[in-house]
Formats: sequence, C-alpha cells, structure tokens
Amino acid sequence: MFESKGKILVIMLLILTITLVGCSKPNAAQNSGAEVVQKDKTITVSLPRDIGPMNPHVYNPSQLIAQSMIYEPLVSYKEGGKLEPHLAESWIISQDGKEYTFKLRQNVKFSDGTVFNAAIVKKNFDAVMKNFKNHSWLGFINVLDKTETVDEYTFKLTLKQAYYPTIQELAVVRPVRFLGEAGFPDDGDTSKSVKNSVGTGPWMLTSYKKDEYAEFTRNPNYWGEKPKVNKMVIKIIPDGETSVLAFEKKELDLIYGEGVISLDAFKQLKASGKYETSLSEPIATREVVMNTTKDILADLRVRLALHHGFNKQAMVDGITAGLEEKADNILSKNLPYTNVDVKPLEYNVDKAKAYLEEAGWKLPAGKTVREKDGKPLELELLYEKSDQVQKPMAETLQAEWGAIGVKLNITSLELTAQIKRLRAADFDLYFWSNYGAPYDPHSFINVVATKGFGISESLSSLPMKKELDQQVNDTVLSTDENKRQQLYSSILKTLHEQASFLPISYIKKTAVYQKDVKGFVFPANRDDNPFLGLDTVKK
Amino acid sequence: MRSYIGKRLLAIIPIFLFATLLSFVLIHLSPVDPAEVYLTVAHIHPTEELLAEVRHEFGLDQPLLVQYVESLMKMCRLDFGTSYVTKEPVWQEVAHRMPATLQLAFSSICLAVLISVPIGFLSAVYKNSVIDHFSRLLAFFGASIPQFWLGYLLIFFLSVKLDLFPVQGKGTWAHLFLPSLTLSLGLIAIYTRLLRTSVLEQMQEPYVLYARTRGIKEKVIMGKHVLKIAISPMITGLGMNIGKLLSGTIIVEVVFSWPGFGRYFVEAILNRDIPVIQCYVFLVACIYIVCNLIVDLLQMVMDPRISWKGRTSP
Repeated sequence: MFESKGKILVIMLLILTITLVGCSKPNAAQNSGAEVVQKDKTITVSLPRDIGPMNPHVYNPSQLIAQSMIYEPLVSYKEGGKLEPHLAESWIISQDGKEYTFKLRQNVKFSDGTVFNAAIVKKNFDAVMKNFKNHSWLGFINVLDKTETVDEYTFKLTLKQAYYPTIQELAVVRPVRFLGEAGFPDDGDTSKSVKNSVGTGPWMLTSYKKDEYAEFTRNPNYWGEKPKVNKMVIKIIPDGETSVLAFEKKELDLIYGEGVISLDAFKQLKASGKYETSLSEPIATREVVMNTTKDILADLRVRLALHHGFNKQAMVDGITAGLEEKADNILSKNLPYTNVDVKPLEYNVDKAKAYLEEAGWKLPAGKTVREKDGKPLELELLYEKSDQVQKPMAETLQAEWGAIGVKLNITSLELTAQIKRLRAADFDLYFWSNYGAPYDPHSFINVVATKGFGISESLSSLPMKKELDQQVNDTVLSTDENKRQQLYSSILKTLHEQASFLPISYIKKTAVYQKDVKGFVFPANRDDNPFLGLDTVKK
Repeated sequence: MRSYIGKRLLAIIPIFLFATLLSFVLIHLSPVDPAEVYLTVAHIHPTEELLAEVRHEFGLDQPLLVQYVESLMKMCRLDFGTSYVTKEPVWQEVAHRMPATLQLAFSSICLAVLISVPIGFLSAVYKNSVIDHFSRLLAFFGASIPQFWLGYLLIFFLSVKLDLFPVQGKGTWAHLFLPSLTLSLGLIAIYTRLLRTSVLEQMQEPYVLYARTRGIKEKVIMGKHVLKIAISPMITGLGMNIGKLLSGTIIVEVVFSWPGFGRYFVEAILNRDIPVIQCYVFLVACIYIVCNLIVDLLQMVMDPRISWKGRTSP
C-alpha cells in the first residue's frame, strides 16, 4: 500500500536532486552570476572583501589592490626602495627642500580618452586637501602649503618646511592618485563619492556586482606596457578555506596577499606539487614592543634578558614553517636607509639569567618566578584574538620566558580594543609590525617620535628619548643624503641597543597560482597589485 | 480572532523595546569608543580633535538616555544611520543584501520540508525498517555536525572532487543547492524525528482505529488524517527554528561566499560597525516575533481544537 507511495516520494526526491544538478554546468568557468565567456586570456583571483566604491581619495571600504589597478601615482616605488618616474617623468627639488616641480608625461590619457595634465593633477590635490584632516597620517600632507600648475605639463608642490619623504609618499596607493574629470562629483568633493572610476592605470572596471565579483579589462588608452591578459576577474571570497577549495577546482588562477589563506593551506598546496608557490621579500617586521614606562621594563637589563631568553629561530620555524624569516633587525634591510649592521641579540639562556640576576630579580628557593623587593617578575603580552601566528608565538614566549623565571600573562583582544590600549600605552608587551614599503622607514621613525600612536609613549623612559626625537626631526628635514643615512643609522642602532623593540620575524606575502599562470612577480610596494606582467597559457 | 491578533501585536511593543534596550546597553558596555572605531576603520588617525568631531556628529556626546530614545525614534522610521565602514545608509545596505539571505533561508526551508516530511513519515510507517534506520542516522549526523564543516565537506566532495556544483558565489540554481543543503540538514534532522514521533503517536489514537473499522482506506487515513495532525508540531518547530536558520545563514554565507546579510553582519562585528549591529538585532527581533505569531495563527487554522483564547477546547 505505502510501498507505491514511498517509491513515488523517493522518485520525486531523486528528480528534484537531478534537476538541481542538471542546472549546474560543470566547468571551471562557473562564475558568481557573471556571464563568463572565456575570451582570450582571463586571470581570476580572490579577495576577501568587496572592492568598494573605487574612490582614489578615500580609504575603507575601497580595497588597495583594486585601487592600484585603476589609479596611478606620480612616482612609483621599486625594488630596494628606488623611486622611479611614473606619471611624472622627472622632478626637481629646490635647494631648501620646500619646492617640488614635476614634469608630467605627455602621452598619458585616462581610460575615457581625456588628457592627463597639470590641471587634473591640481584638481585631485585640491580634492584631497579639502579633507586634509583625514590624511594627516601622511607626513607631506601636513606640511603642504600650496599646489600650482606651472604650465600644461608642469606641476609644483610647495611645502611649509622641508620634508624629505615627500617623493616616497607620492608613491602610496591612496589618497594621492589621480581621478579623471568624468569621475568628479559636481561639487568636486570626492570625500563622499565619485561618479566613475576613471583612471590612467592599465585596468578599467567594466563589470561589478557588489560582494560577488569585479571584472577589469585592459585600458585601451594605457600609456605604458599593456597587460598581457585581457581580463582580470576578482571574486569576493571572504573565507580562506573556500578560496583554497575554489583554487583547487580551478575556479581561481591565483591566490595572493597577506594572510588570505592559512599557513597550513599554503604548505599543503605547496606540498601537493600541483601548483606554483612563491614568497615575497620581507614586507614588514613582526616584533614585540616593550613599554619602557612600566617599572619592570624600564630596566635595560630586563629587556635584554627577554631578547636572549627565547629561541627565536626555533619559534619562527616551528610556527610559520619557514614562511616567515627570523628577524634580527627592527626594520628589514630591503627598505631605504635600513642597511644597518647591528649585533644580533642571540638566544642565550645563561646570559638572560645573568642579566636578570644583575638587575636584582632573584629566584627564591622553591619558586619558579623571580622576585625583587617582594614583587614577582610578571608581565602581560597582548595579542590579537584572530591572528593565527600571534597566539602560538605568545604561548611559546610564555613557556620560554617561564624557564628563565619570568611569568608572562597572555591576553587576547579584538583589534579595536588592542589599538585602544596601544594608543594609551596601557600595555607591558605588545605585538606590533611596521608599515612596510613605501611607508617606511620614515613612518616608523615618525611613530617613534610622535605622540598619539602609543609607540613614542612606550619609549618615553629611554634615557636618550629627547635626542632620538631630535634626530627624527632632523632626518625628515634633511636635504643631504649622507647626513640622512647617518641619522637613520644612529636612530636604528640606538633603538636596537636599547632593546625596546624585539624583532621576531620578517612577514612575507604568499602567492599560489596554477601552473599555466606565468610572469608572477611580487610588487615592491606592499599595497600594489602584481597583475601587470601576468600571463596565462590556458587552453 | 481579531482581538487575539490585536493583543499579540500589542505584546510586540515591550518585547521590541527590551531587545533594543539590551542591544543598546551591550554595545555601550563595550570598552571601545564608537567614534574611535569609526576613525580606525576609515584608516584615519584618531586625534582628540577628530574624536570630538565624530562624537558630536553621531550624537555620542549626548546623555545615554537621549541617545537611546533618539535611536529608537530613528528605528521606527527604519533609519539606522550610516555604516561606519561603507558610509552608506544601513537600511539601504540591508535591503540590498536581504533578498539573497531570504532566498537562501526559503530554499533551505523548502529543502528541509521536501526531505524530512517523506522520510519522517515513511520511517514511522515502516518502523525499524531500513528507511527508519537511515532517518535515525541522518538525524544523528545532521544534529551533530557543525555547519561550517559540513559546508567544507560538501564543497570538497560534490564540487572539487565530483565537479557537480560551483564552489562559491551566487547566480544559478547550482550555486544555491550546496548552501541550502548545508543550512537545511540541521532542520532535516529535527523535523524527521519530530514527524516520526508525531505520526507514531497519532497512529495509536482511537480515531485511527475507528476509521479502520469503518473501512476507510489506509492510504486515506494516513495521508488525510494522521499526517495532517502529525505535521502540527513540525510547524511549531519551524517557527522556533527561524532564528536558528538566520544564525546559520551567517556561517553558511561566509563559507559559500553567498552575498547576503549574514556575511555583512560578520564583517560588521569584526569592524564594530555599530549601526549595522543595531539594525541586525532589530531585524532578528522582528523576525522572531512575526514568525511566532504566524506559526500560532497557522496552528489554529490547521487544528480547530486550539481556541483563540490560547487553550485547547475540550
């Protein structure tokens, strides 16, 4: 009786499943609603967040990598910190370091065919300066006095005072890149929105579905070497594991970036031998900042003991499986002015214990934590809750420093809460990393000297802090290359000797790509995109 | 019936007030200053001067009571302010993403009903048979497996290995199937067992025996009478599980890159995008209240023994 009914129901279920399966088109070109036709050459990458409104003059939620595909700088940052002409073919800096005169390229057009000239450069600078408070993190914005068009292809910046990193800061992805006339809103205020994403870059945004995908095609008017592929598709995949699965199914050609997939996933893809993988040069240094205003850490000997008291090499290798590199310098040597030789503070438990003894931190009989005047040697290390590397490193330091008689409490916080405590200098030890290229080394020395970021405050008990601040000031005002190098060397050596920064590892970007993807090169600029030289031999 | 519905609608007001007050208090108990969050997510260095400006702009320098009343008034006008991250009106952002979430939720419910009703019914009719053992196994599996892991498993086997479905994204029915299945499996586990138990209970009722002695066909008894009454607890369960379904979409949308409101909410939490969080709490509270009301009304329509006074008639 029910057998027939049961059979009918089972058959109905089967039909439903088959229908759903039948709707799928099993091929790698299935796309999130995008009508994908495999025309010529397309490379598909993933991004964890939507690309945003593609406004060159604002920050979140626009994504740097996508902004850098459309908008270009006057100056570009290359390997080893070399600053090369880009939209500006040359520049002259006045003797006093206050005037920068740029000769612009004359063969540049925006993607809509309009001409790139000094007038549009000025219009962009005016739009940025209208909301200069939002850009106060960028040093030259704070000292920018005026901008002017000398002639159609000559543009001049005048500063209130000399500021040597100006050229380097013009290489950043935002906010000093150039929007075409058609992109400006009627009131010229780009801080709210832009009409169209019209840039001079190699790519144009041609199809976009918020939170799903963005398609970029070659800019036919591009002045430089044109991209080798016709189209770049960015799929928005917030989850790293899903990105890996999509990559394995060949829905993605490339996974690129910082922390976009887990270290385990990267290792697994590398070990499979089916894909190409690569690691970038150091992009930043992972370090622990020691707050010298805290009683315990005000003593240099304690800071030195912490440096010597853990096996850095083993920790970095064990936790990052070689994807990061042991760091001895506060700043990696591939940044300008940072090729400074310092004596590494190597792992030496006996030395660490000796420093602590010398500082008066004795180990009472039967106890595991050192004490001084009845107070235990107890410190707190803050780490970010969601960071896959910080937590195991914090636990390792807890164990290693425990062995030399230091009790380390580790506290996980959300990023916003963590930043709040950093700015208030309300911490003992704090995981931190510098900004990378093209922001460093000048942004690094800026936070060393300038209050409000938490770093300067945490260094304020250093005996030579005032001298350091003066050296930083002299550095940014300097117009002499040799003097500048001497100042940088001095600042970095002092900070190294004072051991208030504990460099752990050099962070690197990862890239995993299909075998048919060719010409992948990491950009020197941390925020730039690597797509210009990419090619594919996909059938 | 009208007065009953009126009373139920009036009861929404205190529940809604409590939900909004709770979310407001929880957000303000957080140690992080919303103005600081706003500037941080915009990558603007928060100087004291800028912080004061932002606090004034958002009315955060007002007394808490004033802030709460103002936010309540705005909520009634569906004005949740602008997102800290996107600078777009929150309601506009939600309206843009909600259809995708509703599509996912609706298809999951449909799939759950389509699968659990026949399996649950047949496992009761053929007690201790293969189908009954299968439904028990399915229930254990569905109730115990974490949704995110199930999602990855389905992607790995059905998408990467068998190449039947796309891994992620939205667009075709094929894109919808895996996330719907992931989301519905937990519901299938509950409803299958619920219906099985309910059908077995109804089969012991005197009216079934009476119907059989009257010579009514077994098919008619089971289909027309037993199933109709037995399905009632399932409808209650469905109403109660709407919330679970919504929270489930958060995980599933992230795993399958489904561009819905759940994913947007996850990002809002990570960014401490307070206006979005408040909007989410408001919406979920509304959905819970409305769904419970609809379920109650449906049950009354389906089972005349339940009176409008909220008690079972003799």
